[in-house]
Amino acid sequence: MLMSNQNYTYEMLRSELTWVVGEDYVKTDDSDKLGHSIDYYWVPELWHDRGQKGTVPDFIVHPGSAREVSEILKLANNYGIPVIPWGGGSGSQGGALPIYGGIIMDMKRMNKVLSIDPVSMTATVEVGINTQHLEWAVQKAGYSTMHFPASIACATLGGFIAHRGTGVLSTKYGKMEDMIMSMEVVTPTGEIINTLPVPRHASGPDLTQLFLGSEGTLGVVTKATMKIHPIPESRKFHAFLFKNMHEAMAAGAKIMTSRLHPCVIRLYDEPETAKLIKRVLGIDKQGAYLVFGFDGPEKMVDLEMEQASTIAMEQKPEDLGSEMGEAWWEHRYKFFYPPYMFQLPQAFGTLDTVATFSNIENVYWAMKNTVKENFPQATFIGHFSHWYEWGCMLYARFIIDNPPQDPHEAIALYNKIWDMAIRAAIKEGGVINEHHGVGLKLGRMMKDLYGPAFKILQDIKQVLDPNNIMNPGKMGFKGAR
Amino acid sequence: MNIDKYLDVIKACRFCFMCRHLAAVGNVTFKESDTPRGRALLLDKVRMDSKNMKNQDYIKTIYEAELSASCRYHCVNHYDEVGLILGARQDIVESGNAPQNIRTVADDLKKVEFTVEGTGDVLYYIDGYTKNHQPEIASAFLQLAGNCKTISGGDCGKALNVLGFAEDASIVNEKFKKAVKASCSSTLVTSCPASYDALKNDFPIDGINVMHSSEYLLSLGSINKPSKSINVYCIDSDYLKNYNNLTAPRELLKSAGYKLDMFGTNLEESYAAGEGAVIYDEICPELMKKLSDRVFELADNPEKDLIITFSPYTKFALKKSKPDFNAISIEEAILKAKGN
Repeated sequence: MLMSNQNYTYEMLRSELTWVVGEDYVKTDDSDKLGHSIDYYWVPELWHDRGQKGTVPDFIVHPGSAREVSEILKLANNYGIPVIPWGGGSGSQGGALPIYGGIIMDMKRMNKVLSIDPVSMTATVEVGINTQHLEWAVQKAGYSTMHFPASIACATLGGFIAHRGTGVLSTKYGKMEDMIMSMEVVTPTGEIINTLPVPRHASGPDLTQLFLGSEGTLGVVTKATMKIHPIPESRKFHAFLFKNMHEAMAAGAKIMTSRLHPCVIRLYDEPETAKLIKRVLGIDKQGAYLVFGFDGPEKMVDLEMEQASTIAMEQKPEDLGSEMGEAWWEHRYKFFYPPYMFQLPQAFGTLDTVATFSNIENVYWAMKNTVKENFPQATFIGHFSHWYEWGCMLYARFIIDNPPQDPHEAIALYNKIWDMAIRAAIKEGGVINEHHGVGLKLGRMMKDLYGPAFKILQDIKQVLDPNNIMNPGKMGFKGAR
Repeated sequence: MNIDKYLDVIKACRFCFMCRHLAAVGNVTFKESDTPRGRALLLDKVRMDSKNMKNQDYIKTIYEAELSASCRYHCVNHYDEVGLILGARQDIVESGNAPQNIRTVADDLKKVEFTVEGTGDVLYYIDGYTKNHQPEIASAFLQLAGNCKTISGGDCGKALNVLGFAEDASIVNEKFKKAVKASCSSTLVTSCPASYDALKNDFPIDGINVMHSSEYLLSLGSINKPSKSINVYCIDSDYLKNYNNLTAPRELLKSAGYKLDMFGTNLEESYAAGEGAVIYDEICPELMKKLSDRVFELADNPEKDLIITFSPYTKFALKKSKPDFNAISIEEAILKAKGN
């Protein structure tokens, strides 16, 4: 904690913050501080579960405009206090945790859809908007964002921008970095800037892409223009059960390299098929479950579906039909509700990694073998989601049913699994990660991942944020003094 | 502690974000603590150390919950986040930690005197919001229903129960039951969804068939439809939809020739302005105003649209915040459709 509420400086800053955003929007109560001390990262959850006192923010402020964000950042520079942008708080990497206290800048008040442009098919919105609210608003206008992540109900658009998030239809509609056209950003020193209004240009390096994924370390995104899409005439799914993951991967990769355009492919390895597909979809069979879907004009959907099915059948899987594919789509979020989602007392982590088709299976086996050989108490499961023309993402998970009771021991074990599994993945060409971000959890891996290139990111951070007020200690950048 | 009965809810909700888009208060205060996750987290702290039950911030948060049950309804496993809050409020009251404003409201609610008037087989319960603020709702119902007895004289116990005064709620309800029994009616009808829920689920009365006014009016048979259907927006009742899954209000309105458009952007959010907390205007007037403002913000054309509210409380809350808001009750809508 950098500030103490016993200190009159605390009251000085509180008065200044109140002047900027109004009394209603500066919170210091115990209830809200508790809510902002825990996100979706297992470590603070465990810390709470074991009755430990978490690190709480000094202030929670809710700015209502870019100008207010700017004023707050200028104050924070004056006082030398950290500012941590917070969206829905549902990040899994500890990226929004106030690890040094400071000001939580909760963006949810900036939640308006400002305009919908039906000619260019874009929506301009304040990024504190909850993504389900955004989708509902866009749907009411007759369109869709096509952004359907499991966290659609919890996260804000800003949260997705902060860590380059994605939704289940990413294979066709892209990740956040493909969906965003341009942004308004408040820099750490308080300047309000706009990136160029189109996502494709030859006017130098792309600032939109610089701020995308910066996790609140390089500034605060306040507004974004994003692509929207017509509601497709048809969306269909089909599922197969392959004898093993390797054959299913061959089918999935061939569908992508044949340049078909599925909106989704998802492949579950044998252990996850046995554990989660059985539990959620009721398919009690051995093998690797794969589902794909297409959307668009019905004739095109049917044609692509036929082509993809032909490719899949080359591996001689069991055809589970469209019903078991539709069931997956219908229950796609169910996996994340309790009790289907893993929860304490279990220790669990998502070893989110992305690699090319040439490397992805090696990455899977490297991580799996590392976990299996070094941590016999852990179960390793995985599925492959978010497929591209060149590769896909591995959503691998480890689960320990009974981690140590002592929180320090439990966290040490947890970190060790991450250290070993992720380094094994990097060695095989894996990149951490595809859509969860880096945050506090993986900051220590950034040097391993980037090598000497990480210094470029550090230099950018230093130039943009000379007083290091923006979310210090995250993404491998230095902590607060 | 009563919250111990909801350990499964605490464990399920404390780290779960899956319903936060429907956290009505959280959507207007933007506070993490005003969501099922936030409340479960702080009640987990209370469970770990009962001294936290005295924390004034925690108590305030627990009483600010609007109890819409949208989150419980949405949850794939329907974890009873409402039951947890009611248990917590009961713990707060039983440990003597209820805030003064809550105790003052509760004292008022204990002052009941139920009287039955009129003749007829059916007994119509006129709740406090209808009687004191919107007599036009009762008047419309009585015109439509014909000969009915009426019972009034205070809250039937729901409000006290929701505030955590469970014993007092039972005492008040016993008085209500006694008056109902003395009326010799076997059908009890109310326009108030909170009372409907109380009489149906919290305090059922042996031998008495409890109906919501929409169910009763629907049972009376078809209404002559007007030649041209009227487009209206409906604001659902939390108690009818999320607590009781009652479809009668919509069926009734359709049968009367109304074309029901979706209010706002979706059918999941609560737009009832704190109806679940029964007397939210008395315990959290600023939040009731904020919830009402969100409704106005989501209305397609608040100056012109005709809105039908399924709860007298909601109509009262919205009109209190914006007197010219064009909202009418189900009963008034049916009367209008009949050309009266």
